[in-house]
Amino acid sequence: MTHDAKPPAQPEAPLEPGQYGQFLKEHGIATNRLADSCGIETIAIQAEHLPSALKLLRNSQEVKLDLLITVSGVDNNETFDSVYHLWSYSHTNELVIKVMIKKTDVPEGKLPMVPSISNFWSAANWHERETYDLVGIRYSGHPYLRRILNPWDWEGHPLRRDYKQPVDGLNDKNPHSFR
Amino acid sequence: MSEGNLIKVGSPYVPDELKDTVTLTSLDHAIDALGELLSPVISPVANLARSNSVWPLTFGTSCCAIEMMCVGMSAFDISRFGSEVFRATPRQADMILTAGTITRKMAPALITLYEQMPEPKYVIAMGACTITGGMFNDSYSVVQGVDRIIPVDVYLPGCPPRPEAILDALLKLQQKIRTENYHERKKRTYNQRAVRYVDYDTGKLVDDLVEEARQEADAVLAGGATIALKSEEKQAEASEKKD
Ligand code: SF4
Repeated sequence: MTHDAKPPAQPEAPLEPGQYGQFLKEHGIATNRLADSCGIETIAIQAEHLPSALKLLRNSQEVKLDLLITVSGVDNNETFDSVYHLWSYSHTNELVIKVMIKKTDVPEGKLPMVPSISNFWSAANWHERETYDLVGIRYSGHPYLRRILNPWDWEGHPLRRDYKQPVDGLNDKNPHSFR
Repeated sequence: MSEGNLIKVGSPYVPDELKDTVTLTSLDHAIDALGELLSPVISPVANLARSNSVWPLTFGTSCCAIEMMCVGMSAFDISRFGSEVFRATPRQADMILTAGTITRKMAPALITLYEQMPEPKYVIAMGACTITGGMFNDSYSVVQGVDRIIPVDVYLPGCPPRPEAILDALLKLQQKIRTENYHERKKRTYNQRAVRYVDYDTGKLVDDLVEEARQEADAVLAGGATIALKSEEKQAEASEKKD
């Protein structure tokens, strides 16, 4: 990949489903193709279809995306994204799945809910805890959803756009700080 | 009892009416008095001995710890200066080299370690991270300078400081120990507080606010009932206005 290659712009017309989108469509799961990220097929999926789609992609011999590279979270301006990177050893191929939850759909004072995949893909366990800790996405059905990096009694989710740093004697945020 | 009483020569103050019934069990004041008497003789010898056997604590939280390990190995060999063993428990250590970033999650552990060390204890703040927060300045999760949570004797800048710099800091600390006097050190020790909480509305430290409130209460008590009456009148006026 050359460095001056521009990232693909969001086209007006909906994109044709790619290899994996086509595969999921054949199995009755609707997906929405997004602009490729670094040449990797990227699809958006409804939250309720996520576990079945991941089981299909992992188990079928045809695609065999059998490595979960990472689960991460993004706070976009309008949505919270839960992002899954899958890798196939046998086909050396990669897929990015995004579950996008509109901020307007999240009730006041509640966290966005995404079904947990850690009961059938245990690699996701700590990744989901980290995403919960830093971005504040609640994975329903997770066996032990507790903060993993920050202290247990931490307030807020630091990688959110509206996060405010704590004000106390440990930083310079306080104008009356003794240092 | 005020602090002055603690270091006064002679026995502590006992009211006259209790003289018959009180038995003094603590020998602190006697030891203090004796120590102060003998300190011009003992201090130089004791300090020389202490300054040449400063044992550091095995404590490293990130990249600076690599340099700390390096200074213990044969190329630099910190044991030439009397700090031969890195003790694995704070109970046996004299000095803590805060080698690495101190996060807010690590801060309580560091305070515990510091408090578990026996007096006299020393701290070398090693690296930019523990002096000001370093490259994690303004980070939400990093303590912006370790001197906000424990008292620091020597600041050792660098990112990371070279092993020679660590040796230099150790020599500086030894110089400091040699000029020291047990009594002055005892007077200087003060209570540590892990996190100083800040009131969100006023931006002042909660400790200060509590102190203010206490002073106000004292003033009210000293002023007698008049002030209290005044405030009651005010309240009454206010309620009338509301009506
Ligand atoms: S001062 Fe530099 S080398 Fe030392 S812990 Fe911080 S970042 Fe690492």
